[in-house]
Amino acid sequence: MAAATAPGPRASGGEGGVCPTSALSMERIQSFTDLADLEAAYSRLCEEEKVVQEELDALLEQQSTIENKMVALHRMGPNLQLIEGDAQQLAGMITFTCNLAENVSSKVRQLDLAKNRLYQAIQRADDILDLKFCMDGVQTALRNEDYEQAAAHIHRYLSLDKSVIELSRQGKEGGIIDANLKLLQEAEQRLKAIVTEKFDTAMKQGDLPQVERFFKIFPLLGLHEEGLSKFSEYLCKQVANKAEENLQLVMGTDMSDRRAAVIFADTLTLLFEGIARIVETHQPIVETYYGPGRLYTLIKHLQVECDRQVEKVVDKFIKERDYHRQFQQVQNSMMRSSSAEKIEPRELDPILTEVTLMNARSELYLRFIKRRIIADFEVGDSMASEEVKQEHQKYLDKLLNNCLLSRTMQELIGYYITMEEYFMRETVNKAVAMDSYEKGQLTSSMVDDVFYIVKKCIGRALSSSSIDCLCAMINHSTTELESDFREVLYNKLKQGFPATTFQDFQRGVTSAVNIMHSSLQQGKFDTKGIESTDEAKQSFLVTLNNVEVCSENIMTLKKTLESDCSKLLSQGFGGEQAQAKIDSCLSDMAAVSNKFRDLLQEGLNELNSTAIKPQVKPWINLFLSVSHNIEEEEFSDYEANDPWVQQFIVNLEQQMTEFKAGLSPVIYDTLTGLMTSLIAIELEKVLLKSTFSRLGGLQFDKELRSLIAYLTTVTTWTIRDKFARLSQMATILNLERVTEILDYWGPNSGPLTWRLTPAEVRQVLALRIDFRSEDIKRLRL
Amino acid sequence: MEDYDFLFKIVLIGNAGVGKTCLVRRFTQGLFPPGQGATIGVDFMIKTVEINGEKVKLQIWDTAGQERFRSITQSYYRSANALILTYDITCEESFRCLPEWLREIEQYASNKVITVLVGNKIDLADKREVSQQRAAEFSEAQDMYYLETSAKESDNVEKLFLDLACRLISEARQNTLVNNVSSPLPGEGKSISYLTCCNFN
Repeated sequence: MAAATAPGPRASGGEGGVCPTSALSMERIQSFTDLADLEAAYSRLCEEEKVVQEELDALLEQQSTIENKMVALHRMGPNLQLIEGDAQQLAGMITFTCNLAENVSSKVRQLDLAKNRLYQAIQRADDILDLKFCMDGVQTALRNEDYEQAAAHIHRYLSLDKSVIELSRQGKEGGIIDANLKLLQEAEQRLKAIVTEKFDTAMKQGDLPQVERFFKIFPLLGLHEEGLSKFSEYLCKQVANKAEENLQLVMGTDMSDRRAAVIFADTLTLLFEGIARIVETHQPIVETYYGPGRLYTLIKHLQVECDRQVEKVVDKFIKERDYHRQFQQVQNSMMRSSSAEKIEPRELDPILTEVTLMNARSELYLRFIKRRIIADFEVGDSMASEEVKQEHQKYLDKLLNNCLLSRTMQELIGYYITMEEYFMRETVNKAVAMDSYEKGQLTSSMVDDVFYIVKKCIGRALSSSSIDCLCAMINHSTTELESDFREVLYNKLKQGFPATTFQDFQRGVTSAVNIMHSSLQQGKFDTKGIESTDEAKQSFLVTLNNVEVCSENIMTLKKTLESDCSKLLSQGFGGEQAQAKIDSCLSDMAAVSNKFRDLLQEGLNELNSTAIKPQVKPWINLFLSVSHNIEEEEFSDYEANDPWVQQFIVNLEQQMTEFKAGLSPVIYDTLTGLMTSLIAIELEKVLLKSTFSRLGGLQFDKELRSLIAYLTTVTTWTIRDKFARLSQMATILNLERVTEILDYWGPNSGPLTWRLTPAEVRQVLALRIDFRSEDIKRLRL
Repeated sequence: MEDYDFLFKIVLIGNAGVGKTCLVRRFTQGLFPPGQGATIGVDFMIKTVEINGEKVKLQIWDTAGQERFRSITQSYYRSANALILTYDITCEESFRCLPEWLREIEQYASNKVITVLVGNKIDLADKREVSQQRAAEFSEAQDMYYLETSAKESDNVEKLFLDLACRLISEARQNTLVNNVSSPLPGEGKSISYLTCCNFN
């Protein structure tokens, strides 16, 4: 087969390569023996020939166009030679221009260099002239004691390029310049010495204008730090003198003085105000002559003196007020509960107030210097990198956090919190011990007293302006209310509400026996039993009211504190987390309010089950003794002489009057709510134990309506819902026929939602003696 | 209202300079700030984590270790669900103070609080002064969960807080279970539940 296809390309090559190779090779044709095959091959070859012919024709047609194009090309030949010549010429010109341009620009560069050198030369000449001028000027100025002028010359000299000076020395006149420079440097040293000396003298003499005069010269001599430190030294001395004076005054203060109780806080205030005034007064000079960003250095120096003076004042305070001993005593009192050496909380009152005032003043002062330094840094750092800004922030934080003032105040506040906590707890205990109840009041005295104390203590902590101190006292108050005070109320409720009437009868017997016993033993009769029952009742109700008021007071306290704190925070006190910290502590406090609510609920349940249920239940059970299997005659008799419900209502009324008078409206309302539920449940129980005639059902319906009507008047709750099942039972008991239920059931129920299951409906239907059980069974519900 | 399933308060305590702030920063912000200054009073951070599909908001209180802030930090113990008692493994003194801290916990914290002992700075292994065994024995004797961490290398920091959150969740679940069982139906039965469910000591 390979041999068969091989000749193909060769054959086509011979035919001019125009058409595709013939499908049939010569060998193949020669090998044909069949006529049909030969014919087929022939016709195919004919077709191929036709195709080839067509292609040849098409090619021949193109010949003229190609020839035309060739002619055109021949014509273009000479033109192309011209263009080539032009192009070469152009290239030559460009190269020439380029060279020229490079030549020119290098000359310009040389010119520029020359110009720069010229400028430098002029500058140097100027500098050298300046140098000479400075030198001469300094000498003259020094002779004339015009230190400002001399300093200005030195400043000019110092701001000269050092290399210029170096170069000048190497010049032709090097020797002279060298000598001059030496003179200049000597002058500089001399001026420095003079300024320092003069400044010191002025400082000693307290001559402020002279002090300020030389203070302004330091930066010209490049002595910024030295100037600031010397000036601060002067200012510190003033601070110290004033503080010393103030402290002397304190020692001489009469104890009857109006401000005697806060004299140390006042002294600190004077100190801080003094420093603040100094900063205010001298900040402009520092800014003008030393540039922005230098206030930090000044204040850092001042703070050292401030710390020294604070230490003195606080030491005196601790000594005079016996602060540490009082703290020790408080700590001992807290460890041991023996009341023998307990420190009287009232004695702590003034000192606690003074400490918070001291801290408030310190916070105010620290906030002042913080703001000033930040503002000053901001001006200086407006172009500075982020790192420099952070660095400066760090300096500031370090100054504020590590200064002795901060640490001392933190220490005082640390002791304060412990003492304030003690004050609060002891005073609350006192209020509880002195608890009294006045007739006609709902709550007893301790609730108001306790909240007055808690408010006072937190308020005092707040007045310290320290957020951490405030939060700590909020936490302690939460603890005090949640465990200690809640436990007091809880213990009172635990004693329970004494039972009455029917139970009283039982208890009366036993207590009478007991009284007999004791009176026999002691030989006297005691009526305390009966009185104390009344007291116990009242105590229980008052405690319930107390619990409720506590819960409300806590929420009120929280709200008040929230607004007080936002005032404090809006003044810029406290760190970034201050708001979050306060919110968290306050929400813990609010949670205690719910705990009081829970306690109230427990108490009410107790009251309901021990006082209301034992009475209401027998009253409801009386229903069983009133027959509802009645005829016309009895029905009308019942109409005239109500057999049950009126008396029941009167009883309820009587019982609830006691509670209505003794409980707050909100609690009373909850209690009647509980009572209504109880009545509904119990009445349903007795109903299912009774039997009814048609008229008996009507009677019950009347009774239920009266009862609901009465209960609606005594509660603000909607009670229809609680009585929904009973009302539906009454409806069933009032049916004419068993099947009438279907008018109200299922698709016919309309707006009525049945609260009874089909089984319960059958059960109620069965209470009607006139309904046949087969009919009831046959009902399709 | 914020969206979370649980909220727990965690308070870090321990001597000054043991790395409480760094642990908190590492966990809440993923940072290790070198040259951290001493904490003033208390600091407050929040991080919400998801554990088994439940959002747990951790309120972390970072306290100052210095003595003069003690009365402030103590006031936070009672409301804490968990305390992280931290010492520095390269500082014997910080370990020796632990019993004192435990006394404080005893005095101020709720009796239901979970305490975790954490030895920090294990990246400084060559300066170690408190052996792992000693700390493990101590924590066992005190019935505390114990872990060693490095806030710098972020070793065990995530684990510390997440494990703690897990334990707090299971504890919280148990409590609600107990409460549900003991609370009586309102208005029914003689038992008064506040007699049983409150225990102050």
